[in-house]
Amino acid sequence: MSILTEPKSVGVEPDRADASLAAEGDTTAFERLYRRHAARIHSLSRRMLGSEFADEVTQDVFVRVWQKIGLFRGDSAFGTWLHRLAVNVILARRADLARHRERFLDGDAPLALVSSRPAGSDARLDFEAALQLLPSGARQIFVLHDIEGYKHEEIAQMLDVSAGTSKSQLHRARMALRQHLG
Amino acid sequence: MTEHWTERLSEYVDDELPTAEAAAVEAHLAVCDECSALVADLRGIVAVARNLADTPPTADLWSGIADGIGGVAPDAPVRPVVIGRAIRRPAASRRVSFTIGQLAAASIALVLLSGGAVWLAMHGTRTAPADAVVSGQPIGVRQVDVRSHGTYYDAAISELEAVLERDRNELDPATVAVIEENIRSIDRAILDARTALEQDPSNLFLNEHLENAKKRKIQLLKRAAGMRVQG
Repeated sequence: MSILTEPKSVGVEPDRADASLAAEGDTTAFERLYRRHAARIHSLSRRMLGSEFADEVTQDVFVRVWQKIGLFRGDSAFGTWLHRLAVNVILARRADLARHRERFLDGDAPLALVSSRPAGSDARLDFEAALQLLPSGARQIFVLHDIEGYKHEEIAQMLDVSAGTSKSQLHRARMALRQHLG
Repeated sequence: MTEHWTERLSEYVDDELPTAEAAAVEAHLAVCDECSALVADLRGIVAVARNLADTPPTADLWSGIADGIGGVAPDAPVRPVVIGRAIRRPAASRRVSFTIGQLAAASIALVLLSGGAVWLAMHGTRTAPADAVVSGQPIGVRQVDVRSHGTYYDAAISELEAVLERDRNELDPATVAVIEENIRSIDRAILDARTALEQDPSNLFLNEHLENAKKRKIQLLKRAAGMRVQG
């Protein structure tokens, strides 16, 4: 039997059951949580900070989750709680990782580096690639708003900017993406 | 359509324009193919973004995570996960030496701050998690005692700052100025977080913010405490 077999949790969803077990030190239960949520957290990390940092940041997130899992109160979905913690970790890493970037992109010129492709099966790949070429500030706001669903007021608090800045940067990101995808 | 309206089309797409302005935009869109196409494209981008699929990492990251948490119970300080991370060393400068006792005091302060104070803030009595979940009751978290934070933190930082003050004349003045400015900045962040936590002590974001700010100050004081005068 696989050690990752889902627990027989009568009447309790798997995430909550495994979170309870993990809070008591059960690393097998925690690994199940990781397996179920790795894709989402890794995608969030990649889109916010770039592919080169996504693996490391994903690991940092789950190590932090292990540390803080006792704070999960169960009054929201575990995925929601995990996602918010991941955003906190990612935002805390922004300043450090910005110093490691080989290029700091600004303006629309970098989008010209991405080759045009016909719409269709490659559309998603084009979108993700174009997303990575956005200036970091505009990209992060686009990810938080359009992909992750945060409101401008929440984004403003997270990024220590005004709601007006969040709106203008979002529009800038959308227009830049349109230039490539259109 | 004027540049002013163009810049606000994303707000229109998101239904965030005031009613009168939204009506004005709609009236314009009825007679402007270019702007109508722009709005359609913006809606398309939003739709793609909302339906983007999540993709897993190409490598299995579990082994690194297991190393990071191995042998450590939840809610205890964990070893940092170092994967291909460059080790940054502070630039050499005029440095002042501290006695072994002074550095030992700093180490004790760091243990208190990074372990004890945070533990007190984050934990306390709580019901057995499994029983709490099955019973439908939330996993309890004791109210954060902000004063416990301040007691450990202030005592340790005061001691470290006293050491620096005593030997500041042996440090490069420019270095001292930078250190003090950074400390002031971090202290403002700590004060803001602690003030907010008094109203919402179990707020995860605020607790994370406070912890990160304290870590930054500890790292800064460690770096300053390690400086030596090169005669």
